[in-house]
Amino acid sequence: MTNFPVIFEQIVNGLVLGSMYALVASGLTLIWGTMKMLNFAHGELYMLGGFGLYFAVSLLHLPPWTSVPLVLAAVFILAVLLEKGLISPLLGRPDWDVSAVVATLGIGIFIQNFAFKFWGGDFQEVPYMIPGTVTSLGVTLAWHRLYILGLALAVLIAFWQGMKKTRFGLALRATAQESEAATLMGIPYRKIYTLTFSISASLAALAGTALAPIFSVNPWMGSGPLIKAFIVVILGGLGSFVGAILGGFIIGISESLSVLFLGSGWKDLICFLLLILVLVFKPAGLLGGKEW
Amino acid sequence: MLRIDNLQVYYGDAHALWDISLHVSQSEICTLVGANGGGKTTLLKAICGLLAVREGSIFFDGVDLLAVKAEKRVDLGLSMCPEGRKIFPGMTVEENLAVGAYNKRVWKKKGGLLEKNYELFPKLRERRNQVSGTLSGGERQMLAIARALMSEPKLLILDEPSLGLAPKTVENVMETIKTINKTGVTILLVEQNVNISLQISQRGYVIESGRIVMHESSDVLLSSPHVKQAYLGL
Repeated sequence: MTNFPVIFEQIVNGLVLGSMYALVASGLTLIWGTMKMLNFAHGELYMLGGFGLYFAVSLLHLPPWTSVPLVLAAVFILAVLLEKGLISPLLGRPDWDVSAVVATLGIGIFIQNFAFKFWGGDFQEVPYMIPGTVTSLGVTLAWHRLYILGLALAVLIAFWQGMKKTRFGLALRATAQESEAATLMGIPYRKIYTLTFSISASLAALAGTALAPIFSVNPWMGSGPLIKAFIVVILGGLGSFVGAILGGFIIGISESLSVLFLGSGWKDLICFLLLILVLVFKPAGLLGGKEW
Repeated sequence: MLRIDNLQVYYGDAHALWDISLHVSQSEICTLVGANGGGKTTLLKAICGLLAVREGSIFFDGVDLLAVKAEKRVDLGLSMCPEGRKIFPGMTVEENLAVGAYNKRVWKKKGGLLEKNYELFPKLRERRNQVSGTLSGGERQMLAIARALMSEPKLLILDEPSLGLAPKTVENVMETIKTINKTGVTILLVEQNVNISLQISQRGYVIESGRIVMHESSDVLLSSPHVKQAYLGL
């Protein structure tokens, strides 16, 4: 029953899933690396991406390709307001490391319940970005899945290049590595924090728009990916960008292969087993402690 | 160029600096010496805006520094090379230097500034693509100084550049500081290594327990019984 096309298809599915985990996790790890804070509202920002796309396409009748940039811009602006209004005032205060995390938890709970109250708990359908399938080498794949893989790779590569080459990217990395010295170089770290938070939120929302057609849109759609993203960043090493990408693909592929060989009940077990193994042998994660 | 009057600084409720007055004149090397915990780094943090000042004033080139945010002070031509280098360990040498040119005033001409600093520090050119976390102590210090120079400062403040370096390397660093000064950069050198820092400077201040206790020309300080006894072990 297990023949080459099936295995190949599952590997591609694993890559697709992994690329999304990488996208969601890279946002989390970015915030951790720069602000030294965990963002528990990350899953809800992902959910807002899904709902945003649903509203734009189903209610405003905008084409999907225009909707996605609009949704990202809206989430970016919302994230700027959230960071400036609720998180920034806490940073630097005594016990901020706890209070800021609790604030993100509160933001997440609020957004989730806001969505439930005003948008309802029904599962909403969103059309594929590119309808149809492609068949090659006896394997049939939805174009949308290839779109996801291509999108994630393009965004992650562009982001990586931006971090290496642009003035903003250098400033962000400098703030993450030595915030006091960064201030001495004239880098306004508060602005960097706000932008880091908002870019990370947009990455989550982008993943939300990409996966919405596959998993459908609802107020709780963010909790699963958030937990996976936490597994991914801890596996890859908290704060490491490359670690988040590597971790994303490892988890994605292990999940789809365990579904194929062991059955779908096994996939979370395998994920956590991998996490435990990494924590036992390399407590900082695969690439933990490495600066980028 | 830099004028500090009657500065009072607190860490929370603890009074850390008492009534500090100090000035640095155009194109000199001025030294601030004192033992660990004497308040040297605290004073520098106040100058750079990393620590709030309760009373007193700091003027730089006629501008009231206390009204300028920490990250904006680089704009004015003030640059600091912090204690312990504080280089960005995950970045290459060249990326570190590029961050030094973050200020808009200099970002556009960072190519030329890189070239200028590589001439001053040939070792850094050799290692331009090396991740800076893997450099030796002396190389890191050179990198930290070069990074501070990338913003084309009028005043360069160096906090403990000799810390943890071998005597031979310390000599190199001091020579470099003299060379930088000759290119027209005014220098405020803060050191625990009293002997060598007073040798390259014209004037010096001695800070003890958060107070300036002496202010003389470097020669006078080097021969003063108090300095000899307390810092030179003579």
